[in-house]
Amino acid sequence: MDQNRLTEYLKQRMPHAREHRVVGLKRLSGGSSRETYAFDLEWNEGGETRTRPMIGRRDPTGGLLKTEREREFKVIAAMHRAGLKVPEPLFLELDAGVMDRPFFIMDRAQGRTGMGAFPAAEPESTRAKVADDFLSELARLQSLDYRECGLEILGPPKNLEEPARVQSAHWSEVYERDRMGEHYPILSAAFAWLKANPVVSDRVVIVHGDYRSGNYLYDDSGIIAMLDWELAHLGDPMEDLGWASMKFWGREELAGGLMEREAFYRMYEQKTGHRVDRTRLFFYQVLGNAKMAVICLSGIRAFIEGQTSDSVMPFLELLLPQLFEDLANQLRLV
Amino acid sequence: MFRPTLNEVVSGMQRTIMEALLPELTSPYAQGQAMSAILILAHAAATLESAPAYDAAEIKDLRATFAALKRLGDKHVSKKSGLRGALAGAIRASAKNPPDRRAMEAAMAAFTTAVALGDADQGIARHVRGYIRRNLERSRNLLGNSLPPA
Repeated sequence: MDQNRLTEYLKQRMPHAREHRVVGLKRLSGGSSRETYAFDLEWNEGGETRTRPMIGRRDPTGGLLKTEREREFKVIAAMHRAGLKVPEPLFLELDAGVMDRPFFIMDRAQGRTGMGAFPAAEPESTRAKVADDFLSELARLQSLDYRECGLEILGPPKNLEEPARVQSAHWSEVYERDRMGEHYPILSAAFAWLKANPVVSDRVVIVHGDYRSGNYLYDDSGIIAMLDWELAHLGDPMEDLGWASMKFWGREELAGGLMEREAFYRMYEQKTGHRVDRTRLFFYQVLGNAKMAVICLSGIRAFIEGQTSDSVMPFLELLLPQLFEDLANQLRLV
Repeated sequence: MFRPTLNEVVSGMQRTIMEALLPELTSPYAQGQAMSAILILAHAAATLESAPAYDAAEIKDLRATFAALKRLGDKHVSKKSGLRGALAGAIRASAKNPPDRRAMEAAMAAFTTAVALGDADQGIARHVRGYIRRNLERSRNLLGNSLPPA
């Protein structure tokens, strides 16, 4: 993002203020499906100088996923209105002429984050608070009525069979598109299994789509903000729970590095008032591993075909053996 | 032998990034990208020599597994399952010079799917599971068992 163009843009969006200054603009690592920039905006309002830390998220030239920024912005806005812990969304710009590609700007929440499992080095008290918040936020998300939130744009399923079918078909299509002519027998078998063993949801909820350790900011008091809402959709509540508790994000007995897996499920049941359906949970954990493997293949393809120069992309290959091993165990292929 | 070897080129590029480029970079994002490039080059250097052996072992194992499946006979590989055609294709692909690895893996995908869906009998499942176990072990040896960093 260009500092001068960003300053000009913010001047137009905040006409009541004067002397706008973008300070410390820098691109951040991570957030591979959007370019992410941090900066502080300083401005003068009523004779007073004010400062606000902000984040800019711009569409990439290529990357892991092709998602729609307007949809992501509207979801974050709805979550913010509903009182969930998310950064406050500020401005959405769809005109690619302003900054080369569409982007949006939101409040920059402060806190720590990781890429995968919750860091084992953190104090036990912090881990317990984050685990509790993680499931409380999920329970609040799943208690929302998407119609009241104005999120019909996410495409309500026609029936309770549709969420499993739509999600597995979607990721299967992405697999076919991005496998570059290669065949991955375990992954092919996984998608065939998902197609042959569909599950029926008990209700329709807002699904974050990437609800896991590594996608929140936290401090010693717990979670400050849930991030990365670009895969949000409507579907089965077991989808986020299954994804969050995949071994991949935590290994061994700790779901997401946060809490022993069975205790995690019990706490989910207490907080939501809904029981964990083990059949559906298993389906979405199989889908989760397959989806993550496909996301890796998409990133690798984007790198090979020059749609992105992000040097993190080739590393995605290193994640595949573990995902394939988890799938092989789930499908009793070993 | 021509010098530098591929391995020496990769190692040299790592040093170029580390010693010439990295100190000049001021943006944290660019520094992170440079570090990732160094690490992926280290991975490439480490796997340059083992990758051909991995490929050779994979083809040899696929060929041996399909030969074993063929020996099971038509009683196991039924026409109805569609596996008979997949097996015939795999045998043809493995006889090519060089073997058509993609076609062999496509056939293995059909057999693996049959096992996952419970459509294969025990004889087939035993051979397919044996291949999958060995394949996973070879992949682990080549690429490691990485998880997202905490």
